[in-house]
Amino acid sequence: MNAEEIQAIFFAECEESLDAAEQGLAACRAGTQDDDTVNAVFRGVHSIKGGAGAFGYIALQGYTHTFETLLSDVRDGTVELTEPLVNLLLRALDTLSDHVAAARGLGETPDDTALQAELTAAMAANAGALLAASPAAAAQAPAPVAEDSDTGSDDDMGIDFDSMLDSIAGAMAGPADEAVEDPADDTAAAWLVKIRPHAGAMRNGSEPLLMLREVIELGGTCVECDAGAVPHLDALDPGVGYLGWTFRMPASVDEGAVRDIFDFVGDDCELAIGADAAMPPVRLPVSEAFAPPAPAPIAPPAPPAANVAPDMAQASKPASVPPAPAQTAATAAPAPATGSGAQGVPPAPPAPGQSIRIELSKLDKLIDAVGELVIAQAMMAQRLSSDGLAATEEIAALDGLTRDIQESAMAIRAQPIGSVFSRVPRILRELSASTGKHVRLEVSGESTELDKTVIERLGEPLTHLIRNAVDHGIETPAERIAAGKSGEGTLMLSAEHRSGRILIRIADDGRGIDRDRVLAKAIEKGLVAPDVQLSKEEIDALIFAPGFSTAQQVSNISGRGVGMDVVRQNVKDLGGRITIESEAGTGTTFTLTLPLTLAISDGMVVNVGDQTLVVPLANVVESLRPAPEDVKGLGSSRTMMNVRGKFIPVVPLHVAVGAFGAVDAPSEGVLIVVETEGAGRAALLVDSIVDQRQVVIKSLDTHYRSVEGVAGATILGDGRVALIIDVDGLVARSLAEQGQLDMAAAPAAEAEAA
Amino acid sequence: MSTITLPSRCDRAAAEALLPELVAALGNGPLVIDGTACTHIGQAMFQVLASARRSGEGAVISASPALRDAARQIGLDSDLFDGADA
Repeated sequence: MNAEEIQAIFFAECEESLDAAEQGLAACRAGTQDDDTVNAVFRGVHSIKGGAGAFGYIALQGYTHTFETLLSDVRDGTVELTEPLVNLLLRALDTLSDHVAAARGLGETPDDTALQAELTAAMAANAGALLAASPAAAAQAPAPVAEDSDTGSDDDMGIDFDSMLDSIAGAMAGPADEAVEDPADDTAAAWLVKIRPHAGAMRNGSEPLLMLREVIELGGTCVECDAGAVPHLDALDPGVGYLGWTFRMPASVDEGAVRDIFDFVGDDCELAIGADAAMPPVRLPVSEAFAPPAPAPIAPPAPPAANVAPDMAQASKPASVPPAPAQTAATAAPAPATGSGAQGVPPAPPAPGQSIRIELSKLDKLIDAVGELVIAQAMMAQRLSSDGLAATEEIAALDGLTRDIQESAMAIRAQPIGSVFSRVPRILRELSASTGKHVRLEVSGESTELDKTVIERLGEPLTHLIRNAVDHGIETPAERIAAGKSGEGTLMLSAEHRSGRILIRIADDGRGIDRDRVLAKAIEKGLVAPDVQLSKEEIDALIFAPGFSTAQQVSNISGRGVGMDVVRQNVKDLGGRITIESEAGTGTTFTLTLPLTLAISDGMVVNVGDQTLVVPLANVVESLRPAPEDVKGLGSSRTMMNVRGKFIPVVPLHVAVGAFGAVDAPSEGVLIVVETEGAGRAALLVDSIVDQRQVVIKSLDTHYRSVEGVAGATILGDGRVALIIDVDGLVARSLAEQGQLDMAAAPAAEAEAA
Repeated sequence: MSTITLPSRCDRAAAEALLPELVAALGNGPLVIDGTACTHIGQAMFQVLASARRSGEGAVISASPALRDAARQIGLDSDLFDGADA
């Protein structure tokens, strides 16, 4: 792996770190933070700093250092997390993201002098009021500690903590000495290690007692077994490690040798070394109440986890060590997981699922191969069935397996949409800074997963829609209050799966679309004829027309009239649809309907004359064979069909695609009722339905060129190519053509349908 | 008085299997846990035994030399075997 590749990984990790930090700060802002939230932000910034140093990005490193120092103060509780501070941190994060972009060569290095000064001021301003600002720290840490952490704030965290630890150890020397008197008598240089295996150390055939045996073989003797945390039988979870041990090791044994024993269980077994180190706490399953990171050993005896400390105190024999403030435990063990200590050092984060990074191109190859496998499987099934061997069990099994492989391969590419949504807060911050409109963001369904390609290409249209919503939709605070709404606008983002597609909604509670103005503007720009009669939906759709913008003046946010038509194009390119619902005075909702993946789709295979076509199942509502009396002619060229009392236009597919020898009379063929974006429902007339199956989509654009009314192509089981119908485009075009042939009939059709 | 016998190999799986039995037995009064056949024991079972000692009326554990030895090595012997009804 060369330096460039490593650098690429660094930047990928930067993105993740920034996302994590953003989420953490968002939680802080919403007031839903816990102990780990600030720490997660800190970790994010810290890891960027580490990489920046390694790759020599001086500006980035310097900036992250300032940022990180303030964060560590917040984490330690020496600086209180107030709303202005969260806002400062959010701004700092935006600048950090610019810094990362600059390091990547994607922009100018931002001027951070003022911001750095602000960040520094936030630390310094609080340093003087340290003890007063943080009662917890004041209560448990004697003065020297405060000084230490004060001066240490310039330093890296580790150093800071070490110095604190030293001073605490000093402060505790009196009582600690008394307690350790006994062991100190016989072996002055012996040292103590406290061992707490957690659930993971007991899993997968791993056995903590075997490791303890090794400790004993090294010359260690068990001073005490802390069984105080073992609950009654009915509350016992055999998977949790409740026991903790204190071993006395002879001075001749190296600390590293003991650590080596527990090395391969890593995080799952905590060690605390030193006479004044407290026993790491029991790690209970997440569902149970975790003991609060109480600074003092006088924890309330109620929750089982909090029992550890007092029980240990009661059970303490002369040799045992009084439980020091948990703080020391956390700092004494330099292992990655330091347990739940005081001072806001949170419990170790839940171990993330193991993951590997692979190149996207490798994944795409796999997906491609799986696609071919699906086709090959279909071909084989078809060949066998033509030889009369269709219904063998093996084929069914193979079919199931192929589908499983395909789904798994797709799942590898699936990512939660949260990665797109997480950019939104920054966009909103920038918008509210430049427009003066305050917008509250509500997000739901951010864990909804969809294909990475879709996610990547979703960012741009989503950004446009959000800018549009804030710029055009949401009113200024004064206007809102005058309209009887709260001064703060609300933007709702949601994502959900619905029948194999993903539905993304962007809803604002603004003024809604001003249809009169939209129409006037469209007429002025010559987009529509002045005397045209348009329905509400048609007027709404005008905002997607190229060159359309109602903004009074062009701002840098929106108003150039390139946004919305690009949005629609982007969404269409993804095989999706966009619809608008708007209510004057109460807001506008844009709904994007997108496929979960671009590689595979469910389709209905139909025959039309000499052609085989695929109708995407996403569009299909139902299929039926109409009775002759359900079909009515309308004008000279149109046909309408009565579907349970509602008339919908019939689109003869053979006319649209130019197939020969197809059924012409609706009553002799099959009608597939489809839902379209622009034209409502329509019925496609086909000869017969052959099959319903998953088809692997091959892009027509890359292999041939884009064709109106055709979404792509697929290879059928018999090796022939079948076109996949772009239902929206095809129906809209066919109806428009029919309409031109039969203009006079249009109002009548609507009246009848209604 | 009910008696529950420990298997020779008291690993985590054994502890998990034994736990419901112990819970049921302790609800019915005094309990003796016969550990005289035990040759191997892990942390999970030790935890179950320690818990059984402090649940209900407190189980009485009779131990094999191997069990007693293992408990002594890890400082649990007094917790498990001291007194009859601790």
